[in-house]
Amino acid sequence: MGSSVVGAEAASLISRIHEETSWSLGRRIRHAFVSVVARAYPRVIGAAREPSWLFFDLVFPILGMCSIVFLLRSRGVDEAWIASTILATALLSFWISVVWMMGAQFHWERDSGNLLLYITAPVGLGAIALGMAIGGALGVVIRAVIITVAGVLLFGAKYQVADPFLLALVILAGVAAMYSLGVCLSSVFLISGREADHLGSLLNEPMQLLGGVYAPVRSMGTAGVVALGILPLAPAIDALRQVAVPQLAATGILPVGVELLILLVMTIVFGVIGRVLLAHIERVGRAGGKLLARAD
Amino acid sequence: MRISAGSTPEVRPFGPLRGGAADAARSLVASARLAWAIEGNWAQPVYLAAFLIVRPLAFLGLFLAVLSIGGSLDVATIGFVVVGQAVFQIVSAALEGPTHALLDDRERYRTIRYIFATPSSLLPVSIGRSLVKASIAGFSALIVIGAGVLLGVPMRAGGPDLLLLVVVLPLGLLSVVGLGIVLGGICVQLRNDAWSYPEAVSSTVFLLCGAIFPLEVLPDPVQGISAALPITWWIEGLRRALLGTTSPGILGAMPTNELLLILAAGTAVIWLISPRLFVAGINRAREKGQLDRNTAS
Repeated sequence: MGSSVVGAEAASLISRIHEETSWSLGRRIRHAFVSVVARAYPRVIGAAREPSWLFFDLVFPILGMCSIVFLLRSRGVDEAWIASTILATALLSFWISVVWMMGAQFHWERDSGNLLLYITAPVGLGAIALGMAIGGALGVVIRAVIITVAGVLLFGAKYQVADPFLLALVILAGVAAMYSLGVCLSSVFLISGREADHLGSLLNEPMQLLGGVYAPVRSMGTAGVVALGILPLAPAIDALRQVAVPQLAATGILPVGVELLILLVMTIVFGVIGRVLLAHIERVGRAGGKLLARAD
Repeated sequence: MRISAGSTPEVRPFGPLRGGAADAARSLVASARLAWAIEGNWAQPVYLAAFLIVRPLAFLGLFLAVLSIGGSLDVATIGFVVVGQAVFQIVSAALEGPTHALLDDRERYRTIRYIFATPSSLLPVSIGRSLVKASIAGFSALIVIGAGVLLGVPMRAGGPDLLLLVVVLPLGLLSVVGLGIVLGGICVQLRNDAWSYPEAVSSTVFLLCGAIFPLEVLPDPVQGISAALPITWWIEGLRRALLGTTSPGILGAMPTNELLLILAAGTAVIWLISPRLFVAGINRAREKGQLDRNTAS
């Protein structure tokens, strides 16, 4: 065996270990920031390098939008609803990203082996989740814009935005609340097995119905009122409809200001719950040795 | 097996279609049992049933909510949407089934190489998987139709037209499964987004086949494409068998015997070419080493 370290030499070594492993608050914030940027980068830049992803991200929502528009036209409804459908489809592209690229992401990363890399890297899952959210939201913006432009060109929809700042605020608050919920969902997906894909499916059409995405939230009755309090899609689309399509303002269930407040509260509450859930599942998963176990 | 001098062991050529009808039947039954195990045991039966009920009903609710924007709904309109939406559950599952089965075996379970190493043929294996997915979707379709009845949709007096149903149902199912295996043969050759193509095709067919709105709403040139799809006539045939009425517009103008003729001819054409395209696709994928790859998509 080698010689033992004693006295001042030992104290110096311990002090060096402490210095290198105990990070100051500033260093931790800097490190978390770098981690967030690093995880957001492939979401924005990587996605742009794969044109087929962009193609499919656009094709599915546009086909769905066309179905709803033709359904509306078969009933001869006011063209304002077609403008609303286009906006709803654009907003829905964020929701789809939240479900599949936020919620299901850790589940997929686990099955493909990447979660092992996250766990062994000196990065918290919370920072990675935040990076996914920011990168995902930025990546979807361009898709949402293309969907809106395509909808306007295809169906001749018209908008009357009196207050562009309010419109931007509604979109920002809605997207923030949705991605905050996505952090919570990622914990749920992480403990899911083969049911994860089915869970993702359940978060699509049923949530579109409850959230009043294509029809007024008001038409959902009590379920719509409940959805306003727990599902970011509901207040976001209701507020968006009131701000961008004034002809439909009367269908709004709450004033835009109140809906903005609801979205703000959702962002904070879901963010905190998501962070706590993620840390808990990571801890329990590590202890039980199941964190990296493949679902199938 | 012991091979002695003078005896010739049976030679089974490799490939997606080999052996006789009995081999194909065994492969189909085995793959159907496997598909049931995969599709039916991912959750407790109560959760599985809830999933099979909630999603199709939400879909139906979504369309009915949109339709209600235009004023109060008459039961004929609800019936049109209910049957179209119910049947499309099966269309979607059968169209996407073979591709998802092949990709699951290639990338998720990594077993496609073992299927090649057994006496099974990939074609009946894919058909078996697809039929089970379609059958499970059939349960969802029944739920949707049941919901329609609860909403007051008037079904055909005296019950469904069984004769028409017995002819139309298998013909349409065969045509959709045939299209599904063509998609499977194509998608297994793709590197990126192979999972997404069947869904894109399914969504396009949904838009074109008059499942939830009359074809007249579509632009004129697109209506021709819609009329060329056997699925359009399958859904219309099932509407007539279940509701006892014809749809509005060009769908309803077609006499039932002509509708059956179109559906039968379309199905025959599909089955004339789809096994060949599937075999060609699998062979090409095999030559290019794509059967054993993991695209991580």
